[in-house]
Amino acid sequence: MSKRLLLISQRAEDKAFAAEVALEAGLDLLLAEDPIKGAELVDSQEPAVVFVDVTTEAQFVAFETALQEKVGLFSDKINLNAIHFLSSSDLTEVPFLIQSPIFGHFVFRNYGDVKVSGPHYGRIVKSSQAERAFDLTVLLKPGAKIQIVKLQSTSQKQEAVEAIKSYLEAAKFQTRMATSIANAVDELLMNAMFDAPIDEMGKTIYSQTPRSTVIALTGKHEVEMKVGFDGDYIAITAVDKFGSLDKVKLMKHIAKIYTDEEYKVKSSVAGAGLGLATVFHSGGSFYFVSESRTRTEVTVFFKRTDSYREFKDQFRFISTQFYF
Amino acid sequence: MLNVVKEQKGSALLVRLSGSVEESVNFDQLIGPPPPELIVSSKEIPRINSVGVKAWIKYFQSAQAKGTKLTFIECSTAIAEQINLISNFTCGGTVESIYVPFACTSCKSELVGLFKTADLKKLNLKLPELKCTKCGGKAVFDDIPEEYFGFLAR
Repeated sequence: MSKRLLLISQRAEDKAFAAEVALEAGLDLLLAEDPIKGAELVDSQEPAVVFVDVTTEAQFVAFETALQEKVGLFSDKINLNAIHFLSSSDLTEVPFLIQSPIFGHFVFRNYGDVKVSGPHYGRIVKSSQAERAFDLTVLLKPGAKIQIVKLQSTSQKQEAVEAIKSYLEAAKFQTRMATSIANAVDELLMNAMFDAPIDEMGKTIYSQTPRSTVIALTGKHEVEMKVGFDGDYIAITAVDKFGSLDKVKLMKHIAKIYTDEEYKVKSSVAGAGLGLATVFHSGGSFYFVSESRTRTEVTVFFKRTDSYREFKDQFRFISTQFYF
Repeated sequence: MLNVVKEQKGSALLVRLSGSVEESVNFDQLIGPPPPELIVSSKEIPRINSVGVKAWIKYFQSAQAKGTKLTFIECSTAIAEQINLISNFTCGGTVESIYVPFACTSCKSELVGLFKTADLKKLNLKLPELKCTKCGGKAVFDDIPEEYFGFLAR
């Protein structure tokens, strides 16, 4: 692969955003105005990263078809995990993207100031180009302080959540912002403690275990939390050593909303299946990195804003990186 | 941890909940068997996680099934968000009043104002400005109107 980022879009805001991303990620920017020209550039230039405007299903189908016809979806000329979908629609409105086998990254096009959102996402792109993307330090601006907390027991979760909330309030986040972020941490830690553990057959160990159960987090069950703040963005990572993340299930949970249909209480599982969708809805971005049976790191990002309205409506993305 | 203060208000039981709603909550123990008429104040609930939401819906759904008349008053911003996110969060109950978030345009302080839902409907998403209690500046509604008041259109 070359050191190029190919943008397939006619939108000026995409061009401005991609230019900032490319600059931060150390990539040269290539432009294509339509999927056919884009597929030709994939064939001739073999870009390391592709950004594509897929606001409508028709655009997505045109891209997928052009790619299939020119190079084939599973060609060596393109890394499927390096395709980033740019959309003006929220995740819940684009099921065709989530269900696609080439889904890896979703960028919700409310860029705000591209001089901030561009470099921020550029760091994600840069990280995803590394051999292994397990490193919070490269996801924030240089100089960001990172704190690492090892949790010894599930009973320490609430304490960790409250400590994050206090830390954020001290860092001048509004109380509601701090509460939203603390909730995100709560969900991430709960997932790492109770949903990630699997047995040798790959079956979840604690799916029916009440989330108030006290479990020692030792050995393979160790859970770590990393917290970093670079002045613009706060990033919090939950780390587990199971590497059991399933992309299909994950996307199903994040994209599920209950604003119209009823939420049904399932007694067969202890979890609620609501956490990740709520976090995304409240303004959080996700970076999921998982190496099968080895390690999963889930990072959530929030930008500190002047108002809660801006906070909730901030630039958002979901990025996934899976290693097998 | 969630706490409760109970008051008898005529034929209704008023429960004032305070604290975070999370995995340790047990509404059956906290409130007890649902009475024929239950009024829930969530003014002092700053946070609710996903397992707390599940426990909430489980308890109030069971109350609804037993014929309890449910009324939610003084809903905190955390609870108002859930009312908007989950269509059956109030389990057939009536939302009488909610806290609405405001932010001061001068000193950036956060404020909340209590509004009756009937009045909010009349305002048609045009909230009045409040006076900041800290600096006297102008405080404006601080959320996305279509989302924060989405439940009013149901």
